[in-house]
Amino acid sequence: MSKTRMHLVMIVALLLTSAVPMVAQTVASQGDEAKLIAVLKSSEASRQDKIAACRQLAIMGGKDSIAPLAALLGSEDLSHNARYALEPNPDPAVDAAFRSALGKVRGLPLVGVIGSIGVRRDAQAVGALTKFLSDSDVVVAQAAARAMGKIGTTEAAQALQAALPQAPAAAKLDFCEGLFRCAEALAAADQKEQAVAIYDELLKLDAAHQVRGGALRGAILTRARGGPKLLRQYLRSDDYILFSAAVQASRDLPGDRVTKALANEMGNLPADNQVLIIQALGCRGDKAAVPALLDAARTGPTPVRVAALQAVTELGDAAAVPVFVQLLDDSTAEIAQAAQASLATMPGREADGAVMQMFQSGEPDKQRLALDLMSRRRIKDSMPALQQAARSADARTRQEAMKMIGDLGGADQLPTLLELLDGAQSPQDLTAAEQAITAACTKAKDPLAQAEKLAGRLSQVKPAQQTALLRVVAAIGGPNSLKTVRALVDSSNAEVRSAAIRALGSWRTADAAPDLLALARKTSDSAEKTLFVRSYLDLAARGDMTLEQRLDMCQQAGSLVQRINEKRQLLGILGKIDSPEAMNVILPYLRDAEVQQEAGIAAVTIAERLMRGRGPWPYAAELVEPLEKVIQATTNDQIAKRARTLLQQAKEGRRKK
Amino acid sequence: MSDKKPHLSRRAFLGRTAALAAVPALVPASVFGRDGAVPPSERIILGGIGIGNRGTHDLNWMLPEKDVQFVATCDPQKQRREKVKALVDTRYGNGDCKVYADIREFLATRTDIDAVLSTTGDRWHAMAAVLAMRAGKDVYSEKPSAMTFAEGQAVVATAQRYRRVYQSGIQRLSEGNFTFANELLRLGYLGKIHTVRAHIAPWDAAEMRHDWLPEQPLPPKEEVDWDAWLGPCPWRPYNAAYCSGSWRNHYDFHTSCIGEWGAHTFAQCQVALGLWETSPVEYKYVNNDSGDGMVATFANGIKLVLERDMDKKIWHGSCGVRYEGTEGWVAIADGYSKPEVSNPAWMADFKKLVDDYCARTQRPMSHVRNFLDCVKSRRQTVANPVMMHRSMSTVHAANICMWLKRDMKLDPAKEEFVNDVEANRFRSRAMREPWVI
Repeated sequence: MSKTRMHLVMIVALLLTSAVPMVAQTVASQGDEAKLIAVLKSSEASRQDKIAACRQLAIMGGKDSIAPLAALLGSEDLSHNARYALEPNPDPAVDAAFRSALGKVRGLPLVGVIGSIGVRRDAQAVGALTKFLSDSDVVVAQAAARAMGKIGTTEAAQALQAALPQAPAAAKLDFCEGLFRCAEALAAADQKEQAVAIYDELLKLDAAHQVRGGALRGAILTRARGGPKLLRQYLRSDDYILFSAAVQASRDLPGDRVTKALANEMGNLPADNQVLIIQALGCRGDKAAVPALLDAARTGPTPVRVAALQAVTELGDAAAVPVFVQLLDDSTAEIAQAAQASLATMPGREADGAVMQMFQSGEPDKQRLALDLMSRRRIKDSMPALQQAARSADARTRQEAMKMIGDLGGADQLPTLLELLDGAQSPQDLTAAEQAITAACTKAKDPLAQAEKLAGRLSQVKPAQQTALLRVVAAIGGPNSLKTVRALVDSSNAEVRSAAIRALGSWRTADAAPDLLALARKTSDSAEKTLFVRSYLDLAARGDMTLEQRLDMCQQAGSLVQRINEKRQLLGILGKIDSPEAMNVILPYLRDAEVQQEAGIAAVTIAERLMRGRGPWPYAAELVEPLEKVIQATTNDQIAKRARTLLQQAKEGRRKK
Repeated sequence: MSDKKPHLSRRAFLGRTAALAAVPALVPASVFGRDGAVPPSERIILGGIGIGNRGTHDLNWMLPEKDVQFVATCDPQKQRREKVKALVDTRYGNGDCKVYADIREFLATRTDIDAVLSTTGDRWHAMAAVLAMRAGKDVYSEKPSAMTFAEGQAVVATAQRYRRVYQSGIQRLSEGNFTFANELLRLGYLGKIHTVRAHIAPWDAAEMRHDWLPEQPLPPKEEVDWDAWLGPCPWRPYNAAYCSGSWRNHYDFHTSCIGEWGAHTFAQCQVALGLWETSPVEYKYVNNDSGDGMVATFANGIKLVLERDMDKKIWHGSCGVRYEGTEGWVAIADGYSKPEVSNPAWMADFKKLVDDYCARTQRPMSHVRNFLDCVKSRRQTVANPVMMHRSMSTVHAANICMWLKRDMKLDPAKEEFVNDVEANRFRSRAMREPWVI
């Protein structure tokens, strides 16, 4: 290599170091344009360096970079990159450069240059682009047609219209695209007559469905007058494409004249067409459509009736409510279901009133349906009726009403619900009352205070009610309630004692854990010990607590868990804790022949969750040792295979690409 | 150009499929010359573009729908198109699913196809949607749906021009938990909203790679059509890793950690706020590598805060959103059995709020079903082009804010940054010929 050449290489290397940005830096520092231009001009710079320079010039290139970039427009390798830099440069000299290139470049670079002229909407290029509309290279003609559309002037539209009859078949859609773009641009510039003329022309073409449909949409919506008339004409069309386009356009055409036109035409059409119109009427939001929709809901093909019910619900007009009620008894199941759904979701007091009236009929079937609708509609005014129904002779009605009181009511309903609990006639009544009390307490402003009140009643009620209330209290929790329940564990009544222990096991929070643990350690009765341990594990599995609290509970349980089922339950809980520490608690069980397999599965499941996704995984390093121990201890090939895969990933810190 | 030309081949196709019990008995619209307009009682003929892992997930949602028949797929990678064919043929118990390497040939010749499922990489989403809609297809496109403002505008304009139905794969907009959260906000349960928080992908950065992976020998075009794979992006040499997902984090191909999840979560927030036809007007730069903590403010003063949430303090699942108002808050993310709310009593209204939403909007709690219903009814989908474009504009603006490392203001009406020539130059990228739309 000569000295001069080596000198040049060093200069370029220096330029590249300072001008081309680092791997992760989108914007180069200011004032680098000259260096980037030097890279473009350098015969030593690689294609990659020149492409990187173009990308930078796209952000910060000024007037100085235009000529060097324009010089690359004919290059097969760099033409796109030059356009990439030039296209966003706001300097008007860029337009002149692109126009100038039109006469010089060929093939794909020409297609690109034409595209960029379109993007920049250079109206001065219309004359030069016109000749490319008839280019023998169809890709060039296609690009020219689309670019003319982007420019969108009267002259561009006229050139496209003139060239359209001779356009090659393969370019026809692009010519249509160009004309659509022109029509849109002209309409936006308030030259609506010209735009309408273009849409009308496109509509007459023997063109693809999307062109005809799009043209009709444009023709209807762009007309200052006469849109609704054109709409009516095509609502009668046998051509489903145009019919569908007209209906679609109607959604953007306001006014009761349009609503009337849609409603009037509906009756004479096939079912599919009726459904389309009905959906449009629902969408348009004009309540003038309601009478026609209700007529359609009453008689006719099932899909049409269902669509009408849905549309009238969408419009939310109270006039529909009596029809919904009437259709609840329709012999066609789909209609009855649709009417029910409509009555459930129709807004307003009229629908509430209809549901309450249904409830007051006294017929159990209707009452149950009304209860369901009250729940779905969240009718708060229904409480007196619900309280009455909760004392009904019909068991299902009674129980559903109780649940509803809890569902819709709050703390103010607790006296009634406690009374119902006291008077429960069956276990099902008891369960319904219990669920309702839990729901009502949960919604109270201070659920813990409500739970304390309930805990205070425990000593005053019968054993069955006491058990139910204990479950309610456990579901809500609170320190004072816990003290009360804890005291009942020492009750002389075995049933109460057992219920209290179970309540501690289903306590909402980890607060009951120390009591259960102490009781389990203290008792010498093996049956009672089992009950304490299982309740403790139930609490560890389901309680509302932090990951650390759950893990601590599992660690504490280790010394108490003796039976195989208890070990399995413990491993099941540990397997759901996303923590490397949980794996360490599991490891000793890998040597326990009774649960070796469960322990292996729990350990690898945790590791799989901790290394989900592509990484990086923060716990990867901590998982290496436990996974090695799993591989060493397990006798199960599948578990070993999973552990080996995980071990490799854990050592690498992220998934291999 | 007539829409009647493919009848012979379609009839031949129907002749073969009609005898198969596994194939839905309904007749496709194209038989009646109704290509592109599927009446309510008829079958939707579906095709695929660029279906990989995520796309297979979507396809498995679509295939069980009784009014759908999938007939062909297109992908520049042979292995991927063959995998889709095998899946579809196994389901239908035949060998009829056709494969195409060239999207232009696929769209030009399969005029029997009413709709396409497009699940390419980010770089191709807008291009594929525009080409498909221009060819008269309705489109279900995975997110993020556009790389730039200009691409999003092109999708909106094309859908409107040809009255196409388009659904972006923001599927949480059709899930009960997220819908409930949106309805709580809309109905005023949360009081006056002041802040919404949107999850961005915790593992990626906002700044992206501009380097090239080492050049590898170009495979035969039949195996991988590299030029088509690149599509409108700047040329770079082939490396197999790009084709197997390592296009992520490259500026030319990806929309960063902000677009990765922001495409979902910004859309969720903007729909919930009723601001899906606009974007925030101010973006505050944050000096970190991800945009974590960036505040984007809407014209009405509501703040959208980007949250990486690495320590899972706000959400314990992916793609979370949290809405905060004067009367309370709601938070929801993937994997929640139910939303987290400041007032548990609100949960009693869950079913009613979701049911009422479905009745009011006629949108079911199935994103795929919403798309298919709209193909027939021609209604607007929940993740329609405008919503997609405006929420993606928020993504683009946040990215540009991070790249330029300074605060900026956006005029959503003009879709341009205010007095910021440099930022405005990011709004589009010149497309590589011949992939110029």
